[in-house]
Amino acid sequence: MRDKDTSPAFDVSRRRFALQSVSLGASMLMAKTALAADAPASPAPNQTTGPVQQDGLSPRLTMHGLDTWHGTPAAGMRVDLFAIEDGRSKLLQTITLAASGRSEPPLLIGDTYRAGTYELLLHADEYFAARKANLPQPLFLSKIPLRFRIIDINQRIHLPVLFGPWSYNYYRGS
Amino acid sequence: MAAGITTHVLDVALGKPAAGMQIELFDIGTQPPTLLARTRTNRDGRTDSPILPAAQARAGDFELRFWVADYFKTPDVFADVVPVRFTLADAAQHYHVPLLCSPWSFGTYRGS
Repeated sequence: MRDKDTSPAFDVSRRRFALQSVSLGASMLMAKTALAADAPASPAPNQTTGPVQQDGLSPRLTMHGLDTWHGTPAAGMRVDLFAIEDGRSKLLQTITLAASGRSEPPLLIGDTYRAGTYELLLHADEYFAARKANLPQPLFLSKIPLRFRIIDINQRIHLPVLFGPWSYNYYRGS
Repeated sequence: MAAGITTHVLDVALGKPAAGMQIELFDIGTQPPTLLARTRTNRDGRTDSPILPAAQARAGDFELRFWVADYFKTPDVFADVVPVRFTLADAAQHYHVPLLCSPWSFGTYRGS
C-alpha cells in the first residue's frame, strides 16, 4: 500500500480499509476451516508462493482473484475484460486466472493501457461449479462485474478482488 | 422483515452513512435492462422505502447501480458507478444488499 501520489489523509483511510478487508477475509477463512469437517473434500489448488511485490513496475493493469469460500486463489476462473464507452460494453479479452489467482500476463500494458472506464466480469458461477462447491442454486452472485476507471496512465493499477458466494470486495491495490 | 430488496450505503473512509448517493435498481432479465427505481440515500444511507417493495418482489436477476463518483468529491474515485448484480432466488425472502465504500474500495454482501 505504498502510494506516493496520494495525500496522507486519504492514504490513511485507504490503508485502514484494506486492513479491514484483510481481516474480514481472514475471519472467513477461519469460519470455513471450522466447517471443513462437513464440507465435501475438494482438492485445493496450490497456495501462492507468497506475496508478489509490484512496486516500481511500468504502468499496467493487473488483477488478483481470491476465493474466500475455499481460502485459496481463484485458479482457473474465467474473467472477461470490457471497455465501457458511451454506456456500451466492448469485450477486449477473456482470460483464465493463473494458479496464483493472478492475471498473467498483465491485462493491459504499454499502448493498450489507456484511460477510460472498464469492467472485469468474474464467472463465479462456472468457477464454483468446477470446484464442486455445495451451494444453493441459483447462486446469489453468478457473474460479478467490477467497474473501475483508469484515470492517469502513468500510474499502475492492481485490482484485487476477494469473493465468495455471498459477498465480494474489490479495491485499488498495489 | 417483508420480502423485497433494501440497501444501505456506508462510507467507510468517513465512518458514516453515505447520504445523498444516487442509486438505481434494474431488472436485468429484460433486454435492455428495465429501470425499476431511481432514488437517493437519506441521511442514514438508506432509501426511505424499500428499493423493491414487497408487493413487487419476484424471483429474477437484478442490478443495483451506485453512483459513487458523484458522491465522493475526490477526482480520482476508482469507479464512476458500481454495479452490483445478484439473483433473487426466493421471492418470499428479504434481500438486503449493502455497499461499503471508500473512493478506492467497494464491497457488498447479502445482509440482513
